[in-house]
Amino acid sequence: MELSEPKFPSKPRPKQAILAKIFHWNNLIALLLMLTSGLQIYNANPVFGGREGWHFPDLFLLGGWLAGGRHFHFAAMWLFGLNLLFYGIYIAVTRRWLHRFFSNSDRLVLLKGQNQKRKNYALHRLAYTLIIPVLLIALLTGLGMYKPVQFHWIADLFGSWQGLRVAHFISVPTFVIFSIIHSLLGLKVGGKRLTESMFW
Amino acid sequence: MTNRKWEGKGSKSFLRRRQFLQLAGLSGFSLLAGGCSSSLLDSEVNGIFEPINQKVETLLFNPAKLAPEFTKSAIEPDALLINTYKDTPELDRNLFRLEVMGEVNQPLALSLDQIEKLPRTSMIIRHICVEGWSAIVQWAGVRLVDLIQLAKPKTAAQYVYFMSADGYYESWDLASAIHPQTLMVYEKNGAPLTTDNGAPLRLASPIKLGYKLSKWVTQIILTDKLRDSKGYWEDQGYEWYAGL
Repeated sequence: MELSEPKFPSKPRPKQAILAKIFHWNNLIALLLMLTSGLQIYNANPVFGGREGWHFPDLFLLGGWLAGGRHFHFAAMWLFGLNLLFYGIYIAVTRRWLHRFFSNSDRLVLLKGQNQKRKNYALHRLAYTLIIPVLLIALLTGLGMYKPVQFHWIADLFGSWQGLRVAHFISVPTFVIFSIIHSLLGLKVGGKRLTESMFW
Repeated sequence: MTNRKWEGKGSKSFLRRRQFLQLAGLSGFSLLAGGCSSSLLDSEVNGIFEPINQKVETLLFNPAKLAPEFTKSAIEPDALLINTYKDTPELDRNLFRLEVMGEVNQPLALSLDQIEKLPRTSMIIRHICVEGWSAIVQWAGVRLVDLIQLAKPKTAAQYVYFMSADGYYESWDLASAIHPQTLMVYEKNGAPLTTDNGAPLRLASPIKLGYKLSKWVTQIILTDKLRDSKGYWEDQGYEWYAGL
């Protein structure tokens, strides 16, 4: 891994808004809980192959049994969902959504740019912008399975119950792959200092 | 299809916990292993969140909203898995009586002939198991609300208990029990209900998870309070409301 110069060479560490850090932390913890308890639920009847299908090893599970997995899943959903909601309000009120996410200029840089550093930065912004709709889809498909009668239009949207289950499950590999790419890109554009600034 | 989970709080998961405790002790406390051993926190977490979730679920439940029904061609005849928690009782259809009792002014003991003469309702709905699978099934029988009304419920009645011939027991909130798609059925996919599926009479509804849908029901008891025993799986830790 090549650690490039920090983005702001004059400052020891880029400054992050405290609220952005809190949302990031909450999201990280909520996702860890949702993923591990979700895999516990998955194992009761794997989406792929049913009872004879491949099961996730215990190391990745949270809850110990199906009921326990559900307890953690339906507790952590509040942290996950409310954090996302308040984050949405936050970026709307502070107008962060205008200048902190993938923009048209990032798009042009990616298409025509020559400066590799600027291109990496555009890629970094693209990655963390794309994860927002993935988080929302995970929430939507989860609600569709939690309340398939009260919100039956969600299952309809995904064609079938199996379609809905697959769509919900796909968020797991997506989040894992995203976390890796997001961490690598963060290191690439801002080095360890940028990463640290996001956490502490 | 309803009664048995494939993962119980049996000796296997107990061993697993012990192993995790040992593992956590040996390996320090990595985030993931820490997550696993915190299955010990299961009932604490649930103690806080089940009441909150139940309030929200009750609020979301619209008693007038019907679950979607499907066409005959959508029926999945092989998808409905058989789950039982113990053994499969064989009931003599001539001796069978369904009792409706508890907080009612007119206790009933109905034979199958009498039940089959009551207005018949057929529905093709999605049956959803807590394990995650689903099956589109046709059920036909009598609306539970009709049976309850026949028994002239007292105003104190708030909950409905279902007692099964195999010892399985369940309890529901009254609002879900009187939903128009909550049926006591004797027919599945156009044929008489088989013993495995709960013959002669079982609960069927699209608005609750499968473990709430008792098979071989012999008693329906209206109560004013929820007892300490809420249901076979609930008493082991599964969610009581389990509404869809």
